[in-house]
Amino acid sequence: MKFQKKRATAKQEIPTSSLPDIIFMLLLFFMVTTTLREVDVLVQFTLPKAKAIEKIENKRLISYIWVGRDERIQLNDNIIQLNAVQELMYKKRVELPNVIVSLRVDKNSSMGIVTDIQQALRKADARRINYSTYLRE
Amino acid sequence: MVKIKKRKLGGAEIPTSSMADIAFLLLLFFLVSTVIDVDTGIGLTLPEYVPIEEQQFVPLSKDRLAALLINENGDVLLNSEIIAIPQIANRLTERIESKIGLPSNKKLVVSVKTDRKTNYNLYIQSLDQVKSAYFSVRENYARVKFGKDIDKLTEEELSTVRDEIPIIISIAEPEQVNN
Repeated sequence: MKFQKKRATAKQEIPTSSLPDIIFMLLLFFMVTTTLREVDVLVQFTLPKAKAIEKIENKRLISYIWVGRDERIQLNDNIIQLNAVQELMYKKRVELPNVIVSLRVDKNSSMGIVTDIQQALRKADARRINYSTYLRE
Repeated sequence: MVKIKKRKLGGAEIPTSSMADIAFLLLLFFLVSTVIDVDTGIGLTLPEYVPIEEQQFVPLSKDRLAALLINENGDVLLNSEIIAIPQIANRLTERIESKIGLPSNKKLVVSVKTDRKTNYNLYIQSLDQVKSAYFSVRENYARVKFGKDIDKLTEEELSTVRDEIPIIISIAEPEQVNN
C-alpha cells in the first residue's frame, strides 16, 4: 500500500506586516523612557562611592557641574572659570526654578573647590544639590 | 474614434518588508543617542546665602549639635573627638534616636565642616555615614510605629516619619581665607 505524504495546504509564510508596528512600539518606549545625551563631558573624573544614596527621579530638572581631576570646571558644554558659575547658575535657576544641581566631582579633588562652587550656588540661589556618587556594594 | 482602453492595474501594494528594517535603524539611533542610567547621589539643600554683615549668631545648645569636622590630614572629629569614619553612623544613630518625640526645634543638627584641603572622597564618606545613620533610624521607626518597611509606607505615614526624624545637615560657613 502506498502512503501518500500529507502536505499542509496552508500558506507557509510568517506574517510580517505587523513587524514594523512592533518595532515602532519599542522605539516609542525608548523615546519616552530615556533622555537625550546633551553634552560631551570634557573633564576626566572618577566619582566616589557611597551607600546611603538616593535616586533623582526627574532627570529633566538636573543641571550638571563637573569638576575634573585637574580641577577644571565644566558647566553645560564648556569649561568655565569659577567666577562664572554664579551667573550661569542664576540664569538656569530663573529658567527652571526647582533645578537640582548635580555635582560630579572627582573623588581626589580637595574640598576647597567644592566649597567655592557651593558658595557660588548659594549666591545664585540654586540650593538643591546632589553629590553624584556610585553605589557601593 | 480611438477607444482608449483602460489598463487594468496590477496589485497595488507597497512593499512593507523593509519597513521593519527602517524602524530598527531608528530604534538603534535612539538607543545610541540616549542615556538610561539613573542619577544617584547624596542630596542636600544648601543654606540660604546671607552676607557676612547680616549673619546672626543663633545659639544652639550643645545637646542638639553634632559637629563633624574633617581636617586636611584626613582626621575626622565628632564633637572634638577623633573617630573612625565607619563609626560615625553608630555614634549618631543613638543621638538621633534620643531626639524622637521632641519638638522640631529640639532635633539633632549635624554640622559638617571641612578644611579647604580636605579630600572630597572623605567628605562624601562622612556625609554618607551621616545619611545612613538617619536612614537606619527612619527605617527602625517605621517598623516600630507602623509595622512596615519604610518603602511600603503611605504618603501620610512617610511624612510623620519625616517630621519625627528630620534630616538636618548644616554645612558650616566656610572660613575666610587670608592670603
